[in-house]
Amino acid sequence: MLKKMMSKAIALTVIMSVLLLAACGNNEKSSGSKDGSIELSFWNSWSEDSPENDVMLERVEAFQKEHPEITLKMESIPPDQYKTKLKTQAAGKQLPDLIQTWPGAELRPLVEGGVLMPIDDIAGEWKDTMIPSDILADYAIDGKQYAIPGNKVFTSIIYYDKDMVAKAGFEEFPTTYEDFKVLVEKLAKEDVNPIALGNKAKWPLQSVYMSTIGDRVTGSEFLEQVLAGEKKFTDKEFVDALGIMAELAELNAFNSDANSIDDNQASDYFLQGKSAMFVNGTWALSGLISSAPEGKNIGVAKFPAVEGGKGEPGNVSGVTGWGIALNSELSDEKKEAATTFFKFLYSEETYQNLMGVGTLVPADVEVPEDTSDLFKEVVDLTNEGISPVYDAVLPAELTDIINNGLQAISIGQSTPEQVAKDMQAAVE
Amino acid sequence: MHILQRNKLAIFIGLIPALIIYLTFSIIPIVISIYYSFMEWNGFGPMEFVGLQNFIDIAKDPIFWKAVKNNIYVVLASVFGQIPIALVLALLLNRKVKGAKLFRTIGFMPVVISTVVISLTWNMFYNSEIGFINRFLEGIGLGSLTQNWLGDPKWAMISVCITIIWQFVGLYFIIFLAALQNVPGEVLEAAEIDGASGWKRTIFITIPMIWDSILISVILCISGSLRTFDLIYVMTNGGPAHSTEVMAIYMYEKTFSSMKYGYGSAVSLYIFVFSLLLIWISRLLLQRKSK
Amino acid sequence: MENNQVVSEHERNISSKVDTTKGFNIKKLIKSPIIYLSLIIFSLINVYPIVWMVINSFKSQQEFSLDPFFLPDTWRWDNYIDAWQTANLGTYFFNSIFVAVISVVVTVLFGALSSYFLARFTFKMNKLVYVLFIFGMIIPIHATLVPMFILMNNLGLLNTGWTLLFPYVAFNLPLTIFILTSFMKAFPKDIEESAIMDGCGIFRIFWSIILPMSRPAIATVTILNFIHCWNEFSFALVLINDESLKTIPLGLANFSGQYNTNYTGQMAGLTMVIIPTILLYVLLEKHIVKGMTAGAVKG
Repeated sequence: MLKKMMSKAIALTVIMSVLLLAACGNNEKSSGSKDGSIELSFWNSWSEDSPENDVMLERVEAFQKEHPEITLKMESIPPDQYKTKLKTQAAGKQLPDLIQTWPGAELRPLVEGGVLMPIDDIAGEWKDTMIPSDILADYAIDGKQYAIPGNKVFTSIIYYDKDMVAKAGFEEFPTTYEDFKVLVEKLAKEDVNPIALGNKAKWPLQSVYMSTIGDRVTGSEFLEQVLAGEKKFTDKEFVDALGIMAELAELNAFNSDANSIDDNQASDYFLQGKSAMFVNGTWALSGLISSAPEGKNIGVAKFPAVEGGKGEPGNVSGVTGWGIALNSELSDEKKEAATTFFKFLYSEETYQNLMGVGTLVPADVEVPEDTSDLFKEVVDLTNEGISPVYDAVLPAELTDIINNGLQAISIGQSTPEQVAKDMQAAVE
Repeated sequence: MHILQRNKLAIFIGLIPALIIYLTFSIIPIVISIYYSFMEWNGFGPMEFVGLQNFIDIAKDPIFWKAVKNNIYVVLASVFGQIPIALVLALLLNRKVKGAKLFRTIGFMPVVISTVVISLTWNMFYNSEIGFINRFLEGIGLGSLTQNWLGDPKWAMISVCITIIWQFVGLYFIIFLAALQNVPGEVLEAAEIDGASGWKRTIFITIPMIWDSILISVILCISGSLRTFDLIYVMTNGGPAHSTEVMAIYMYEKTFSSMKYGYGSAVSLYIFVFSLLLIWISRLLLQRKSK
Repeated sequence: MENNQVVSEHERNISSKVDTTKGFNIKKLIKSPIIYLSLIIFSLINVYPIVWMVINSFKSQQEFSLDPFFLPDTWRWDNYIDAWQTANLGTYFFNSIFVAVISVVVTVLFGALSSYFLARFTFKMNKLVYVLFIFGMIIPIHATLVPMFILMNNLGLLNTGWTLLFPYVAFNLPLTIFILTSFMKAFPKDIEESAIMDGCGIFRIFWSIILPMSRPAIATVTILNFIHCWNEFSFALVLINDESLKTIPLGLANFSGQYNTNYTGQMAGLTMVIIPTILLYVLLEKHIVKGMTAGAVKG
């Protein structure tokens, strides 16, 4: 009896150890170079089956063909989970060689944690030749460049149904805020939902609306000035800007379930003809075009001018999209390989291919002929001036507060003064 | 005695495999997480020891207490919703009748469906403009009762709780089903015989026999409710205006959005303590003095 | 156990007092329409999400946007082919099955073994070990993501075929032990005694007597563990980098882009992925509801 149990115990222990050893043994240590070729690990968020991602993945493949001596070990992670994975692995000091990142609040902690390498020496290639330096600066912290932007997004485009707006008496889209309010009131009176909003994720009200509206009233320098201590959120201009948000909510400009649906569902309301307008970023364009029912006349406009506002009325809030950064621990060998990759990827061809599928680019390249008319309209619309997007400039904590604050204002649970106070408190 | 000697070794061998894996891959990470809770850390830079500061900051945050309140709603709704319904279902469907098998399978389905599908379909019930519930109310002339089920802070939590109850009834259902197998069949059938007194017998015989499983399920329910995350995250993301925010969402945001790992770990310690407290209370209330 | 004795007495009283002929079947039928109706409504609500999911998996994205309620105009079977590719289901299916099956087997085996000793034996550390296992059920998973990553990194266990087994087993053990222990505690005490008289060793008793008797509970924890492993996302996201090792939930996430979601493709993916779970449940269901003869003690 005893023997049987002992042998069972031994067998169990042996099995366990074998399992453990096998587990350890299976793990290949990734090497810098094997047989002369250089391997670069590369993380991006191009996992979705979208035309834009297809373009990028094609370019990566083309690069591999042209440069067989460099192997890209690529991993595509869905954008929603990218943050989580990046932060977890960063905490464990296990970041890849090439890291896709986003500007502003996403970039800053990476730089402050010392995980990214400054690339000023490489960036000269694009600076002011293909990419204007103020756009490039989106990826600069304290004067040092950390990534090259791949696309550009404007967050605040008003997509409107030309027929529905014309029926409310506006053949041309309103150019002043006062007229805009008239439009909203008329639509609401006819029982048509003026603007489709999907704010479940909380950032739309901030990124899509507040960023441009705020700019109209406070001017583009405001955020920087507050962060530098020269101005406060509790100053009149900001409170007024928040006041516009509150006003729109009071006029019933938004659908009542705005905070429980996401912007996908909101765009559906627009397509189904329930709402006359849908405000969202340039990313929504291709989806709207492909899903629009026959005969729907979609127009694009920007938020109208606000009287007495300090901002340029032609501005649209926008920010560079993703960019690829380098791991600070890269060897010289790998850095060279990465530079070759950058030169290939951030080229006129790539940018034009992106535009071909309806994506705006940060580079000064010609718009290809065969893009849709609506896209060309959007390019023109956004060419006048760019204003900052709040969540790209503010630190994460402040973004949190304004996101929640705007949601609260939209359901009457808070006031512009209160939110302004909360934000200022967090700055101090 | 001879048997006792052998027992000790056998017990050791029996428990060791589970203990090794569990201690290494569950307890150790938990302990490390507790260690973090005394630190301030953004994940990238160095960790700074801050003692109890995280705990104090959490206790001072009104949003945290809102989350606690919401969690209590979930616990109450779950315990008083999922367990009784699951129990009734298990008692009803514990039969070898063809129809019963189909109903049992269907009863379990919600547990299997992904939270994305649940969120989308229940959204269609709750949608204030085109959702089933409101359309139904209007259709039968009760239009005045329509609400903004998910968008109105007053109703959001209740709506979410109903969905949570629905989602997990199936789980306790099969636990009770399994437990009922321990009850001799003749007893159950005999107890179901005549109308009202049949139910009385169910209450006085069957239920006491599976009381341990009921207690287990309540504890499971409490611990699960305090950790609830997935469904609420997808359905309402804690909104609107924190009205459906629960502790696990609060913790997730602080850890991965605001980048405060120490703070997040401290929140999970609070969850842990609340769970222990509620479990202890429920054991006091429900534990039978078994001889 | 005392309970059994009391119950058997009741049993005898009841059978002698009541007529167990066709009489009570009719009474049941009278009661049942109300119950039947409630069950039907309940079932409709339960089944509706699945039906909705399947219907919408056949629509085009435009159709879905314009009308999420009704039947598709054309049934687009390509959605399934596209979804298979987008979510990389070819590779991921295999990985998920591998991880789920092995995790479940190991969890149930180790769990049942531990539950046996915790439920049927008294020893000094019994309470302590039991409570230790229960702790695992109380911690929210996100708190352990970073520590787990760092730990497994140090152990060199990241990104392998076996990687996910360790956290999955570790986190499923508490529930398994919790349920199995409670179940096993309810067995009459004399079961072991007569077996020992016959010369059975402890492990033999476990394997040939206790395990079979626990079949309903074993089936229950098997299906629950499988569901947990099959749908588990957070650890898979963080502990696996290799495309060839990823599991299904990660593939399903590919339908959500930064700004848009391919709902119809996602529905197709989800439909395909739900099938193994339903199959497993249907297979195991008969074990969960298996009628047991009370307290049989086989030698």
